[in-house]
Amino acid sequence: MSGEFIAFFILSLLTIGGAVFMISFTRVVHMVISLGITFISIAGHFVLLGAEFVGVSQILVYSGAISILMLFGIMLTKHDANDEGTGNTWKNRFVLVFVAALFGLLFWGIQNAPWQAPAQQAAEQSMNNAKEIGIEVFTKYVIPFELLSVLLLVCLVGAIIMAKKEGDQQ
Amino acid sequence: MSELLQQAPSLGNTLWFILAAVVLLVILLGFVTYAIYFERKVIGWMQLRIGPNRVGPLGLLQTVADVTKLLIKEDTRPKNADRALFTLAPILAYAPAFGVLAVMPFTESIQFADLGIGLLYYIALSGITVLGVITAGWASNNKYSLIGGLRSAAQMISYEVPLVMSVVGVVLLTGSMNLREIVEAQRDMWNIIPQFLGFAVFIIAAQAELNRTPFDLPEAESELVSGYHVEYSGFRFAMFMLAEYVYMFGMATLITVLFLGGWLPIIPALDFIPGIVWFVLKFSAYVFLQFWLRATMPRMRADTLMSFAWKVLLPVALVNILLTAVIVSYQQGMF
Repeated sequence: MSGEFIAFFILSLLTIGGAVFMISFTRVVHMVISLGITFISIAGHFVLLGAEFVGVSQILVYSGAISILMLFGIMLTKHDANDEGTGNTWKNRFVLVFVAALFGLLFWGIQNAPWQAPAQQAAEQSMNNAKEIGIEVFTKYVIPFELLSVLLLVCLVGAIIMAKKEGDQQ
Repeated sequence: MSELLQQAPSLGNTLWFILAAVVLLVILLGFVTYAIYFERKVIGWMQLRIGPNRVGPLGLLQTVADVTKLLIKEDTRPKNADRALFTLAPILAYAPAFGVLAVMPFTESIQFADLGIGLLYYIALSGITVLGVITAGWASNNKYSLIGGLRSAAQMISYEVPLVMSVVGVVLLTGSMNLREIVEAQRDMWNIIPQFLGFAVFIIAAQAELNRTPFDLPEAESELVSGYHVEYSGFRFAMFMLAEYVYMFGMATLITVLFLGGWLPIIPALDFIPGIVWFVLKFSAYVFLQFWLRATMPRMRADTLMSFAWKVLLPVALVNILLTAVIVSYQQGMF
């Protein structure tokens, strides 16, 4: 049993456990914390795969996002608010069928996918994968990258304009 | 150390890992104990007092006594607090503080993991502490601690931006985010000279990240009813304080590595002195600066605190990035 396997096992348990608890908890703050555990465990998976840069970005982006999400969760909901959930059993069964079908489809797809053999120099590159990603992004994928940054800028400006409109009305 | 990480986990090297972590923890606890002692002593001298001098010779055991008091205190928990999160919050705050030390190169040979992106790892992990702070504020089920938690979160998130921006200059100069390579690149000149602007922004933002004077609003017990940890006592309170001092250890290490040349001597002729001595000297200078500032500066107001981060530090950090980028590309012959 290698260390990688043990780490994978623990991280998978945390990822899935966090996701399950995220759905089954009834208080917003508990949900946000378990979602955070899921995100951080996914970052652990990236590190296991030798993609430290992606893993660390995952923590950097999502742990910040989780804190902000929690702030909004606290400020926009009542302190003792419990999400009662839908008690509609007919609907739940209907959903179960779809979820089972989706799981079957995904499982079948993953099992049958023709995986490429892993690249030989992956281990050597892992030291420098931030550099490799930078070179790829700014040469091969420069237009999608710039488009994405414009999209984000539009979101930012849009959010400010929407907030400003509401401020004027009051 | 790094070769050990590649091996299969047998009983032997698992024990080695645990031993290494415990040794680091013991060093840390020793550092925290005597950092608190010296903080009180130094501030005492600066304010023409004597400082702790009763417990043990020269008061050396004062912190040990204080910590023992905290540990044997009754562990109180408010009746309506959220039981699970109240317990989880100190762990969430402390674990990343200890985790960031895994990538720190203390000397050429003493390092736990040599990550290619060590710098980014530090910044990412230290962000998780904010989550612990908000959780603590919310789980206590107290209006003051919730307000304090939100105030600390706003401060830590805002100051993280200039902190990250100010180290971009160092990364541009070195061409790497590996902490070891950053130190090696400072053989000729420490980064504090070409990156002085970045250094100034970093040291100010670091004060705010560490919740220390003049940005210690989260701990303003007399004016703002402390903050996120008002409901914590005994051992759990000690965990929060420990996390704070461990972050001070981490930040001092980071600043030594990034700007002060890590384990490198001041001039190459002094090479015969071991690297760890140089490291400890630079490290102690930064820690002393902390105490000095605390004895000197008054506390800032919350609104000036936020506008200072966004209107002064961030633009200065951006100008620093621009200047560094222009100079680096000029040196590489792009113009």
